[in-house]
Amino acid sequence: MMNKLKKWITTENIVAVALFGYLFTYPMMNSAYRTMNMANFLASIILALSLALVWGYTGIFSYAQAAFYGIGGYTYAILCKNFAGPTLTPAFLLAAMAVGFLAAMILSFFMFYGGINDVFVALITMCVTLVLETFLQQTAGPQWKIGKAALGGFNGINSITKLTFGSTVMRDKNLYIFALVLLTIIYLGFRYMERSKLGYTLISIRENRERSELFGYNVAFIQMMIFSVAGAMAALAGVIYTTWGGYIVPTAVGMTQATIPVVLVAAGGKKNSTAVILFSLFYLTLSQRLAASGTQYSLIILGAILLLVVLFVPKGIIHSLFEILDEKVVNPLLNRSEKKGGCK
Amino acid sequence: MKKLLVLVLVVLMMFGAVAAADTIKIGMLEDLSGDFSLCGTYKSHAMELAIKEINEAGGLLGKQLELIAPDCQSDNQRYQEMARKLILEDEVDVIMGGFSSASREAIRPIMDEYGMLYFYNNQYEGGVADHYTFCTGAVPEHQVMPLMEYMIKEYGPKVYTIAADYNFGQLTAQWVKKATQEFGGEIVGEEFLPLSVSQFSSSIEKIQQADPDVLVVLLTGVTQSSFYGQWFAANSKNIPIATTINIAQGYEHLRFDPPACANMYVTAQFVEELDTPAAKDFVARYRALYPNDPYVGMEAAAQYTGMMLYAEAVRKAGTTEVEAVIDALESGVSYDGPAGLVTIYGPTHHAIMDIWIVYSDANHQISFKTKYEQIVPDWIEKEKGCDLTVEAPNIQFTPDN
Amino acid sequence: MFSYLYQFLDSFSFLVLAVSGLSIIFGMMGIINLAHGEFIMLGAYAMTIMAKASVPLPLAIILAALLVGLFGFVVDKLVVCRLYDRPVDSVVATWGISLLLRQGILILLGPSLPGLTTPMGTFMVGGTSYSIYRMVLALIAVVLLVLMYWLFMHTRFGLHSRATMQNSATAQAMGVNTAQMYSLTFTIGSALAGLCGALYGPTMTITPTMGQAFQNDSFVTVIVGGANPLIGTALSGTVLGVIQSVLNITMGTFFGKMGLLIVAIIVIRVLPKGFSGLVESYMMKRKNR
Repeated sequence: MMNKLKKWITTENIVAVALFGYLFTYPMMNSAYRTMNMANFLASIILALSLALVWGYTGIFSYAQAAFYGIGGYTYAILCKNFAGPTLTPAFLLAAMAVGFLAAMILSFFMFYGGINDVFVALITMCVTLVLETFLQQTAGPQWKIGKAALGGFNGINSITKLTFGSTVMRDKNLYIFALVLLTIIYLGFRYMERSKLGYTLISIRENRERSELFGYNVAFIQMMIFSVAGAMAALAGVIYTTWGGYIVPTAVGMTQATIPVVLVAAGGKKNSTAVILFSLFYLTLSQRLAASGTQYSLIILGAILLLVVLFVPKGIIHSLFEILDEKVVNPLLNRSEKKGGCK
Repeated sequence: MKKLLVLVLVVLMMFGAVAAADTIKIGMLEDLSGDFSLCGTYKSHAMELAIKEINEAGGLLGKQLELIAPDCQSDNQRYQEMARKLILEDEVDVIMGGFSSASREAIRPIMDEYGMLYFYNNQYEGGVADHYTFCTGAVPEHQVMPLMEYMIKEYGPKVYTIAADYNFGQLTAQWVKKATQEFGGEIVGEEFLPLSVSQFSSSIEKIQQADPDVLVVLLTGVTQSSFYGQWFAANSKNIPIATTINIAQGYEHLRFDPPACANMYVTAQFVEELDTPAAKDFVARYRALYPNDPYVGMEAAAQYTGMMLYAEAVRKAGTTEVEAVIDALESGVSYDGPAGLVTIYGPTHHAIMDIWIVYSDANHQISFKTKYEQIVPDWIEKEKGCDLTVEAPNIQFTPDN
Repeated sequence: MFSYLYQFLDSFSFLVLAVSGLSIIFGMMGIINLAHGEFIMLGAYAMTIMAKASVPLPLAIILAALLVGLFGFVVDKLVVCRLYDRPVDSVVATWGISLLLRQGILILLGPSLPGLTTPMGTFMVGGTSYSIYRMVLALIAVVLLVLMYWLFMHTRFGLHSRATMQNSATAQAMGVNTAQMYSLTFTIGSALAGLCGALYGPTMTITPTMGQAFQNDSFVTVIVGGANPLIGTALSGTVLGVIQSVLNITMGTFFGKMGLLIVAIIVIRVLPKGFSGLVESYMMKRKNR
C-alpha cells in the first residue's frame, strides 16, 4: 500500500491534483465573467487534447482538428436552426459528435488505408481544413441553406440556442461546470489509457508502424479509430464554443484556429496530457491579456515559442519540467531511484 | 526621495480611483492589428479625438468620459471575449465600434443578451433591425442607389458586378441589381470571388468580353486589392469603376501608384479631401493630434459622429440608463459635424445624412461630382414593414428574405 | 480559343513558379517548408524596395532571389539543419518561422507597401486585351523547368542529389556529403521562392500575408506532383493548370480554387506518391521487361 502510494507520487500527479482542485474551485473564487471566459478556454483545451491523442499518443500529425471543431459547431447550429426550442439540444450535441466522428472516419479511411502517413497526413489534413474554410466563407448567397438554416458565409450563423438539459440552460457557471466535467472525464480516460494495453499499442504504432504491423496489429484500423474518436472530441469542443458564443463562423474552422492546438500541444508536451492542459491555461490567459492591452506582438511570441520549443525542448516545456522535478526533487525526497525512461 | 515619490503616486492613484468611480465609461472594439487594422487605427483615433473634445468641454452630465479600448486583432472570437469583458467586468455604459460585418454579427447577440447599447459606426450592407443597435455609417440606400442612378445616367445601362464572395459582397451586389433595374439598366455579368483569390486574369477577360458601360467592384481585403493593378495591366478600355468602399474607406488612391484607381467613383458621406468648412476643421483637429496617420477615412467621420450622437442623446435623456438613451435616440437626435448634418432615424436605427459622389482621375486627384442631400434610410420600414420604435425583431434583413 | 491558351499558361506559370522551391526541398529532404509562402513574400518585398530605389526591374528580381536564397541558407544553418531527421518537427518549426516573418514584417513595414505597376503593357487578340508581362512569366516558367532538367540530369550536383534522393545512406557511403547537399538544396529552394515573389511582385498588392495565396496552391501542386521535383512539377503544373483554367472560364474562380483542392485529395488517395510515383513505377516496369 505504502509502496503503491509512493510510486503514485510524481510531479505530474501532484500538479494534476492541484490543477483540477483549482479548476473546480474557480467559479467560487471568481466573477461570473471570468468563469464564463474560462469556459471558453476549457473548450480550447478539449480541442488541444484531441490533437494530443492523435499526435502525441499515436504519432499522427493532424491539421484537421479545427475542421472537426467547426463541423461540430456547424452541425449543432444547423440542427438548432431547424428545430426550434431547447429540449432537443442534448441530442444535437450527440449528433454533432457523431458527425465529427464520421467525418474523421471517412478522411482517415482515405489516408490510412491508402498507406499515407507522416508529412503527407499533415498536407492532406491541411487541404481539408482549407477546403472547408474556403467553402464555408463563400456560402453567403441565399442558395446556401440547409433546411431553415442559412449557412451565412463569412458572417457565420448567430443567435444559436444554448445547450439545455431539462430546464438547466448551459450558460455562465453551468456551462463552465459542464465543460469541466467533460474535460475531467477525458483527462482521466487519457491517464487510464496510458497504462492500459491500448495505450501501449498506440505507443508502439507511434514509434514504429512496420514493427507493430508485423506483431499482428491492424495498424490502419487502430489509426482510423483513434483519429475518429479525436474527431468526435474536437466536435464536442466545437459545440461548447458554439453554445458559449451563440455563434459559429468559418474562421473558427480556418488555418489560424488550426494553429492554436498545435502550439498548445507542441509547447506543453505532446506526450503528456497534464502538460497540455497546464500550458494551455497559461498560454490562453497570456494571449488574452496581450490582446486586452492592445499589443501586436502576440503572434511573434507565439512563433518564437514554437521555434524554440522544437529546437531546444522537443518534449515540450512543461513535460520537460516534470521530468526534471521528478529527477531532482521528488525522487530524492522519497528515496526512490527511478530508472529513466519507463514506457513514455 | 523614493518614499516621497511612492507617496505621491499613491495619492495620485487614489484621486484616479475617485475620478474613475464618477466617469461615463465608453467601450470601443476595434482592430489595431491584423487584416483590418488599416481602418481600425484611424477609427480608434477618431474616437479618442471625440472623447478628448467632450471632456475638454466639461464632459457629459458633469462627468468625464473614460475610454476602454482593447485590440480585437481582426479576430471574431476576440470580439466576443472583449465584448463580454467590457459589459461584465468594466461595466461600460455603451459599446462602439466593429469593422467587418462578421465582427458586428459576432457581438450583436451578446449586446441583446445583456441589454447593452451598441453603436456600429461603419459603412455596411444594411438591414440590421435591432433594439440595442444603432448604425450610423452609410448603407446601400445612401451608397448604392445614388451611385447606380448617377453611373447609369452618365455612362449607360450595361452593368457588370465583381464582388467578394461573402456577406458584404453578396448583399451589396443584390442592392446593385435592385438599383440597376430601378434606374433602367441591366446586369450583363456578375462574379463572386473567394476572399483568398489574388490572380484575376480570367475574371478580367470575362469582364472585357461582356463589354459593360459600368463596372461595379465590391472587392475587399488586402489580397483582393491586387485586382486594380492587374485590371490596368490587362485592359486597355477605360471602363468606369463604381464602388462603395475604395478610396473613402481604404485610401487605395494613396496606397497604390496611379492608375490603380483611375476613373473610379465612390459614394461617401466624408473623405479627407472633402472641401467643406466643417470637414476641413475636423481634419485639422485630427491631424493636430495624429500627424502621422496616412489617411482620415469615411469611417473616422462615422465613428466621431456616432460618439457625438450618443453624447447628444445622453444630454437629452439626462442619464446613461440604456432604455432612456434609446428613447432619446429614437426621438431623432442630430449632430452637425464633419459629414454635415446627421440625424438618427428612429424607426430603423440608421442615420439620415448627405452623400457625395467622389471621383478619382488617372492621377488619383479627387473631385466631387454631385451631392445627394439628407437621404433617409427607411428601407427596412417601407419594404419590410419593420418599425423599431414599436417592435424589434433583432435580425438582419436582406433584399431577398 | 486563344483565351483558353492564355488562361492555361497563366495558371501553369503561377503553379510552376510557386511550387518549384517547395518541391525541390520536399523531394530532396522530405521536409515541408511551411514558411515557403513567407519566403515568397520576402522576395516580393526585396524586389519592390529595390525597384523603388530605382534599381532596374530585371536586376531587382535577380537580386531579390539571391537575397532570399541567402536568407534560406541562414535559416538552414540556424534551424532546419537540426531537424533533418525529424520531418514532422520541421513542419512545426517552419510554421513558427512563418509566423515570425509575417508579423515581423507587419510591425516593421506596416500593413502594405505601395506596389509597382505591372510593366510592358498589353496586346490584343480578337478584341480582348491581354497582359504581356503574364506571357513573359509563362516563358520564364518554361525556362525554369528546362534549367532544372539540365541541373538534375547533366551536372555533378544533379547526380549527387539524385543519389541522395534515392538512398541517402548509400550516397553518403559512396562519398556524397549529404549534409552539404541538404544545405545547398534548401538554399536553392529558398532562392526559387524568392524568385517567384519577385516575379509576381509587380502584379500584386505587397502585404505581409501575400505569401498565403502562393502557399496553398503550391502545397496542392506538390501533393499532386509527388517527390520528384522535376517530373512532379512539370506534370502537376500542366494537369492542374488545365483543370484550373477550364473551371475558371466555364464556372468561375471559386470552382477553380475548389477544383484544385479536391483533385489533390483524390490524387493522394489514388496515387499516394503523386504523378512522379506513377511515372517512376512505369519506367521501372519498362526496364524490367
